[in-house]
Amino acid sequence: MPDRKLEPGKDFWAEQISELSQRRAFAAEMGGAENVKRQHDAGRLTVRERIAGLSDADSFREIGTLAGTGEYDDNLKLKKVTPATYVAGTARIDGRPVAIGGEDFTVRGGISFGAMRRKGGQGGYIEDLAHHYKMPLINLIDGAGGSVTSAKRRGFVVFPGVDGFERSVELLGEVPVISAVLGTAAGGPAGRAILSHFSVMVEGTSQIFAAGPPVVKRSLGQAITKEDLGGPEVAVKKAGSIHNSAASEEEALLQIRRFLSFMPQNVWELPPVLPVEDPVERCEEALLGLVPEKRTQPYNMKKLISLVIDRDSEFEIRPTFGRAVITMLARLGGRPVGIIGNNPMIYGGAMDADAARKQIHFMELCDTFHIPLVFLVDVPGFMVGLKAEQEGTLREGMRVVYTAGQLKVPTLTLVIRKCYGMAGMATCNKNDIDLKLAWPTGEWGSLPVEGGVAAAFRREIAAADDPKAREKELEAELRAHASPFRTAEALGVEEIIDPRETRPILCEYIALAEQRLKINLGPRARAGVAP
Amino acid sequence: MATTNVTSEVIGTVWKVEKAKGDAVEEGDLIMILESMKMEIPVEAPVTGTLSEIKVAPDDSVEEDQILCLIES
Repeated sequence: MPDRKLEPGKDFWAEQISELSQRRAFAAEMGGAENVKRQHDAGRLTVRERIAGLSDADSFREIGTLAGTGEYDDNLKLKKVTPATYVAGTARIDGRPVAIGGEDFTVRGGISFGAMRRKGGQGGYIEDLAHHYKMPLINLIDGAGGSVTSAKRRGFVVFPGVDGFERSVELLGEVPVISAVLGTAAGGPAGRAILSHFSVMVEGTSQIFAAGPPVVKRSLGQAITKEDLGGPEVAVKKAGSIHNSAASEEEALLQIRRFLSFMPQNVWELPPVLPVEDPVERCEEALLGLVPEKRTQPYNMKKLISLVIDRDSEFEIRPTFGRAVITMLARLGGRPVGIIGNNPMIYGGAMDADAARKQIHFMELCDTFHIPLVFLVDVPGFMVGLKAEQEGTLREGMRVVYTAGQLKVPTLTLVIRKCYGMAGMATCNKNDIDLKLAWPTGEWGSLPVEGGVAAAFRREIAAADDPKAREKELEAELRAHASPFRTAEALGVEEIIDPRETRPILCEYIALAEQRLKINLGPRARAGVAP
Repeated sequence: MATTNVTSEVIGTVWKVEKAKGDAVEEGDLIMILESMKMEIPVEAPVTGTLSEIKVAPDDSVEEDQILCLIES
């Protein structure tokens, strides 16, 4: 420790404050002008610019500002401090407090080691802040985690999990956790990005993987660029490891603000309700002709959703992954809702393994944060075929059914067209009132008539003089029983509605759900073994 | 001049091709219809331009992300 003796003639407090200012200035300099320029030249913001861009003006209150590695002269007078590789603190977004932090790539490439490791990352102080004050956590990830060089410095290697993911896991059941991948993420930071409720990465300047190109080359002999290995084309579109991509860092930060606007501060609170500018009684004539009469013709489910929800309130999660289902946060009458809409443009809305994984995450997200679910149903069943079987569609699909069976959040089911089989079962919440509405275009059953007739009447069709004609006759016969009005007669669905009335009706039931939400606040218990 | 690849979003078969090589297309114009999971999946022009090549014909099987045609714009 430096000698605290005053220099002759200096006022004690002036000296203390001067040193504090000097140390703060070292922190503000980050890795120095040259490294900051290099960061900018690579098309990336510094961590301090990111925090400022994301939070309300002048709301950032830093913590651990002075953490770093000091250099002293022979008289133990401070010469310089290299700041810690992580910047952290609290801030406000739309007036609400958040814990926010990120690696400082301009300092040693954001690589953490030793005492500095405590500040950010998994098991870091930033996670403790979010946990203690029960506020959302935002990870601005721009680092590759530890380095083998740490072992040389330390003299021994640490056992995996010394700074483990325990707190990261705990937070997922307590407060919204959001990660932005804003550089090349591997190791611990990559792991944290996955342990998030919502994650976003930037096209062209960010990549994420379990291990980067040098390790891949050494392990498998494959030569591949980091963009081809872990850019958004792989991580977002193909793997779904990261939820959304953004064209720029600014857009990524906007997506974070947007996601947060639907979230409560923690699981003990209700999500925020906004004033309604779009009339809840708005009836849309365009909904009437939206679903084609011909059953084999698809339609635009996103357009349908946009006509029903509060205008411009949609925020789609994973738009490019598992596209047979659309998952979207939106508002109805100012209240946050989670929309799950099947997409007839992609395999007729059949649920494949990716769509199942996407739906599971979204259902759990909404269930955890007390956001009612609205199912807009047009699902012919699980995806079929060799590829689907190889991808484990049956298992993934049944995990959707399993997750739906554990929902506690109120749900509303509106059948637009098809609702078949086990995938159809996962579109309602049997723990709740199980309210099922349908448009007159609705049809349902164990499986669609077409495939069902071919299987159940195989011998009769084969024995007919004209098998094709007999198959069509049988289909027509069975379809006559399939009118949704006949199911409504038997109260098999609770109400058939005029498509034009969709918005007022959904808004009304979502408003009614508020009392149910209030009595079910708190963490969600998860039980059993997922299939 | 930029070339835009028009790709299939689904596995399926080509049912009808509504345009021919050399046709001018506007963004949103129907180029062909695929059949997948008993549904008619329209393939629309993502940009305005000229169809410089059509790589598939009716009854052809197509894979996800397979290039169906090219548009010069």
